[in-house]
Parts: sequence; C-alpha cells; structure tokens
Amino acid sequence: MKLAYYPGCSLKGTSFEYEVSLLKILEVLNIEIKEIPDWNCCGASAAHSINHNLSVALPARNLAIAENGGYESILAPCAACSNRLKTASYELKTDDILKDKVVNSLGMPYAAGIDINNMLEFLSGVVGEDKIKSMVKKPLNGLKVASYYGCLLVRPPKIMQFDDPENPVLMDDLVALTGADPVDYSYKTECCGAINSLSNPDVVTTLTGNILYDIKKHGADLIVVACPLCHSNLDVRQREIERKYGEKIGLPILFVTELLGLSFGIDPKDLAIDGHMVAADKVLKKIKEL
Amino acid sequence: MKIVINEQNRRNFVSQVESMLHDKLSKCYQCGKCSAGCPVNFEMDYTPNQIIKMTELGMEHTVLNSKTIWLCVSCNTCSTRCPKGFEVAEIMDVLREIAEKRGINSKVEKEIRMFHEVFLNNVKSNGRIFELELVGKYKLKTRHLFRDVFLAPKMIEKGKLKMHGEKISDLNRIAKIFKDFE
Repeated sequence: MKLAYYPGCSLKGTSFEYEVSLLKILEVLNIEIKEIPDWNCCGASAAHSINHNLSVALPARNLAIAENGGYESILAPCAACSNRLKTASYELKTDDILKDKVVNSLGMPYAAGIDINNMLEFLSGVVGEDKIKSMVKKPLNGLKVASYYGCLLVRPPKIMQFDDPENPVLMDDLVALTGADPVDYSYKTECCGAINSLSNPDVVTTLTGNILYDIKKHGADLIVVACPLCHSNLDVRQREIERKYGEKIGLPILFVTELLGLSFGIDPKDLAIDGHMVAADKVLKKIKEL
Repeated sequence: MKIVINEQNRRNFVSQVESMLHDKLSKCYQCGKCSAGCPVNFEMDYTPNQIIKMTELGMEHTVLNSKTIWLCVSCNTCSTRCPKGFEVAEIMDVLREIAEKRGINSKVEKEIRMFHEVFLNNVKSNGRIFELELVGKYKLKTRHLFRDVFLAPKMIEKGKLKMHGEKISDLNRIAKIFKDFE
C-alpha cells in the first residue's frame, strides 16, 4: 500500500520529537511513507473557529495532492491535523455544493476517496499488533504508563469513528504490547484547553493541571500522548502548573512513538526524548535497570 | 430584564444560523447535559444550553457579544453527549463566524479572536505556520509582550523554537483559496 505522510506544522517545530521518533520506529519496522509534496497547513482550530468553508478547503488541497499522487491512505500523526483532514473529507463527501466550490478553487480533481489514519489507527491497524510485538526487544515490564487521548482523536465520534469516545483503550493496548502496565484514571478524554494555550493560558493551566494531578494520583511513571497540542500543554506548561498549585508533578510526557521506540531497544537520543521540557532521566534510568 | 425582539429579525437570525449549522435549534430540549460536561463552563457568561435558547429566541446581540462563543475550546464533549444529537459545538463555530463576518468588535475575549486571525494570516503568507513569527505577531497585537516569555530560553535550548519558517512553493494557490473563501 502506498502511504502518504502529512506531518503538519507542529511536527516541524515545537513537536519535532514526534517526527524524529516516528521516522525512527518506521525505519526499524521497515515501513515506507512519503511526505505529501508541498503540503499546506490544515488551518487547525483557527480556521473552523471563524470560517467553516476555509476549514474544509485548506485540508482539501492536501487530500487532493495525495489522492492525485496515487496514494490510498494518509498518515497524519498530529491529532489536530488528522481531525481536520477527516472532517474535511467527511464534509466533501456529504456536501456536494461545497465540494464543487472547493474542487474549483483547488484547480485539481478530487474524488473524496482517500483514507486518513491518525497515529493510533496507523499503529494498530496498518502496522498491526503482531508486528509491533515481534519488535519488542526491551520489554518495559513494571513501568506504569498513563495514556492521555484528549479530544481530537475521539471526538466528534460521528466523523472520527475511533474507539469508545468516553473510554478509549487503543493507546492502552499499544502500551501493553511494550510490557508496560496501562494506568486507569478518570481524565483520559478531558480537554487540555489546547486551542487557547496562548490566548487564554490561565484556563489552560487549570484544565491541564486537573489531568496531570489525576494521573499523578494514580501512580503513573509517565504519560504517553499522540497529539502535539496535548504534549505542549502537559510538557511545556508543567512547571508553571506546579508553581500555580504549589505541588510537584514531575511526570515526563512521551509520544507513543517514543515509548514504542524504547521497547524496540532504540537509543533514547535517536528518539529525541531529550527534546522535552520535563526531563525523562528517572524513567530512562528505570528502564535501563529493568 | 425586558428584551423586545422583532419577530421578523428573530426568524432571519434563526434561519441564518440553522442553514449554516445544517441542524434545527428546536431539537434542543434544554436538558443541560452539554453545559454540565463543558470543561470551560466555569469561565463562561452563558452556558451552552443558554446560548442555544437565546439564539432560538433571536437574542442576537447577546449571543454574538458573549464570552462563551470565544471561550469554547471546540472539544466537542457537548455534541458527543447530547441526547438529541444536536451540534452544540458547531453552533459556537457558526456564531463566531457570524460575529466575525459582521465585524463585531466585542471587547470580551478579544485576544482569543485575535489569535485565530493572526494564525490564519500566518497560513496565508507562508502556507504553513511559522511558530516564532506567529507568537511574535500575536504578542505585538495584544501587547502581552512578556507573557510566556519565561518559556522561550528553554524551548530554544531544546530545539523547540525554530528560527526559520518554511514557505510552500504554490503560495498562489493558497492565496486563491483564501480569496475564494474568505
């Protein structure tokens, strides 16, 4: 299957660790993906917040380039990008008038047939659990890992068609493949406030604080995510949240690709784990001693 | 508080909202489940179910100038849990879009609105987001020059803040998309 790759802006910037670790594990798994040529920003939350049609047209250009390039499926590791691409694809399938306008604006045909996978769907569906399990060289036995899903992977369920929207387990299942113990807790799909991280930081530190302290209470060693925006709020703002509430958290936030990479026995440096704001040294030491 | 609403204006507003929403406001029976699960309800001036009712009653000035429409983080918890399958999160998108198109320059939560505008301008000029430029322009516009600045040195050290952005080659196409849909 020809797989197109839509990195999105975050993976080329603040969440570069996600791309580095993804490409590294795909190299080990021997899976080839091709970056969509000349891709553009999906418009993220800003576009749908103030201009619906633009929020369909911007991702549509990427869908059309991939489809016309003969790709059957797109991997969009960023939860927000995958959400916007899937939403645009859904709108173009269900609104013929808008589709005509968009196709006309793009100046290229689009049949609305291309499939979009987020990171978790890609890992469990395309790569497959058996293949992942067979690559585990360094089982992470005894490590307690909380999977945080956030909003954009699961909602709206009508369009995302992803797991159970209130209690998803797909990422927990991937965690279990590495030998680690998935941690059960209450805030799996609560919002971190992502969209307003810069424009309303006080609300964001409250929402993210609720998630972090609940996970801490349930005894996790670390948190895994599959979304750059979740990562940013949980990792970059963690010190600020500790200061706000006067209580230490100290939870490293890893991308799911990094955790898999560690279980494959890949050097943490090759997975860019040193790129996070909250140091993962203690966890890495624990893994080394396993 | 007494509010007088012209019935014709009410109908016009309801039909504008419903046609953009592809859903019927009368579906909502005010159970309040959307508001109970909303993660940002503690900051809002009106709860999501109140916004739906006020829209149906034609109280356009109030809803279009509310904090609620800008504070909504589009997490979609409300729509997911609505027992009537009403598009609660999308009504916030629709009301924001109407407020934006009418040029309503509300003072409430204007930084959130400005962020969306600066973000889209960044997409328009580069085709992709150049984070440093986005943050810089947003700070200049809101004059919050020092907020979050404490994060910058470590982010630069970690390689999270790139000094150069990427521009796509077919910027003409991006310009056309903006022209057609803006």
